[in-house]
Amino acid sequence: MAVIEVSRVSKRFKTYDRKEGVWGGIQNLVRRNPREVRAVDDVSFTVDAGEMVGYIGANGAGKSTTIKMLTGILVPSSGSIRANGYVPYLDRHQYTRGIGVVFGQRTQLWWDIAVVESFQLLKRIYDVSDRTFEEQLEIFDAVLDLKPLLYTPVRKLSLGERMRCDLAAAFLHRPRIVFLDEPTIGLDVVAKENIRQFLKRINTELRVTVVLTTHDLSDIEELCRRVLIIDRGHLLFDGSLEGLRERFECKSQIVFELREPVQVDFSRLGFNASVEFQQLDALRCQAVFDKKKVASAELIKAIVNSLAVRDVTLDDTTIEEIVREIYSRGEVASA
Amino acid sequence: MKLTPYIAFARIAFLKILAYRLRYYTGIVTYMVNVSVYYFIWKALYRGKESLGEFTFEEMITYVSVGFIIRTFYFNNIDREIANDILLGHIAAKMTRPVNYQWMNIAQAAGESFFRLFMFTVPTALAILVVFPLRAPASLHSALAFLAALLFSFMVFAALNFLVGTCAVYLHSILGLIRAKYFLVEILSGLLIPISFFPDTLAEISRWLPFQLISFTPLMIYMGKFQGEELVTSFLLGLGWTLVLVGLGHWFWRKAATKLTVQGG
Repeated sequence: MAVIEVSRVSKRFKTYDRKEGVWGGIQNLVRRNPREVRAVDDVSFTVDAGEMVGYIGANGAGKSTTIKMLTGILVPSSGSIRANGYVPYLDRHQYTRGIGVVFGQRTQLWWDIAVVESFQLLKRIYDVSDRTFEEQLEIFDAVLDLKPLLYTPVRKLSLGERMRCDLAAAFLHRPRIVFLDEPTIGLDVVAKENIRQFLKRINTELRVTVVLTTHDLSDIEELCRRVLIIDRGHLLFDGSLEGLRERFECKSQIVFELREPVQVDFSRLGFNASVEFQQLDALRCQAVFDKKKVASAELIKAIVNSLAVRDVTLDDTTIEEIVREIYSRGEVASA
Repeated sequence: MKLTPYIAFARIAFLKILAYRLRYYTGIVTYMVNVSVYYFIWKALYRGKESLGEFTFEEMITYVSVGFIIRTFYFNNIDREIANDILLGHIAAKMTRPVNYQWMNIAQAAGESFFRLFMFTVPTALAILVVFPLRAPASLHSALAFLAALLFSFMVFAALNFLVGTCAVYLHSILGLIRAKYFLVEILSGLLIPISFFPDTLAEISRWLPFQLISFTPLMIYMGKFQGEELVTSFLLGLGWTLVLVGLGHWFWRKAATKLTVQGG
């Protein structure tokens, strides 16, 4: 059953181009050049109850704008959105009772006061009973280790601690749908892992529908079975992560540095059919390969065994590269 | 409308302000300086005169001092806070809560005002009382009516600020507008000069505008110069303008909210 239905939604903004320089500045006073920007362009998708969907795209792709329309903050320029039975921006008051929102870039909590006071306020806003409140805090504490943070003012928390509190705040009133805009941005590996564990648990145990935006592909790999890819306002892909992998080559790359400048004979490595080798300069070489066909461990082993290597680095395909690849093909795919 | 969340907002504002207590100690000094400046100005103006208009010198000093004392109570920065919300993008998170944005702002301002009543208004009043000869309220009746009028003074001020703040949705930077409103309110509310000192036409117009309800009306009630019919009229005006300005704010915000753009992120 679909809890979110987005149909042919566009959001257009008007911006003004500014002319440069002093004379340009004076011209701007008198005449402005309006330009229409399509932040989101004719996007349609549905999300089923209990799904955890990753909404990805590079910076400025239109992710946040979509989330802001889904949460009722922005009004779509055209198209329609229904979520949890409401039109978000029209029935904002009732609709927001059933959703939770986290914007990774900024906190929803009150900056100067203890975290627990923010929770108390949210409890009253959402009319959460004392029992539910206690229960929710217990659940959050178990995964997020919240209790030590409760009596600290938000401004004294680290980014990771703050994000844990923000997540708890978003789930406090047991929402049916939760929107997370870049929940792992700027966090270290441990904090990221913490938050992913929490989301996994909440999603499976409480059957909360989660829509999360990120530009960190590993978030998606860990959490979401389904991905939506948006770029320059267009929805480029809607389907499973495996579908995405199969459909688009995921090139990985190994760069290795030699101990001494020599001309390397790559055929010695025995991967010539499946790996593209290239000597970048006297010391550095590059191997580009498809992870599905070649195990990177094997390749690294071969390199280390047959060449005098000082350093090896492995780069996986980033979401930017996939998006670039999809975009260069110019197709809207689904799988 | 359920009240509990709004009371909770007021409480949060109260707690928030506790974190910045020090601001108020400097505030008391500022207000002392303000009152002193006006004391000397009026002293010069009254030289050789029994009274100006309907005010004796002693009454004028009471007018100015009590005017500044109550300003410590009704004052708020709703306009600046809305402008900040919009400029920095905090508005996004606030819009995803099932609360009325206008009442949330007014409730927070009320929490602050309640806090300031004890931490700022009373100390300022005591400090001024020590230095300047103030008159007590004209009667118990006047004193009670004065307290009631302060509620309108708070509401009108808050509702006006909300309207100005909402302009930020369209204009983004409203510092100029906020400043213009600040001076307009200082003059037209009668904080600096009693409205009865204005030129006749302006005085007549000001009597029907909402600004006088902020300062002039409660002060005239305090001094017993508004009584009987005039008192009733001023309360009706207070109620009327509160409803009109809050209603206007409600309508304006609804309209503006559809035009919101969120900065950053």
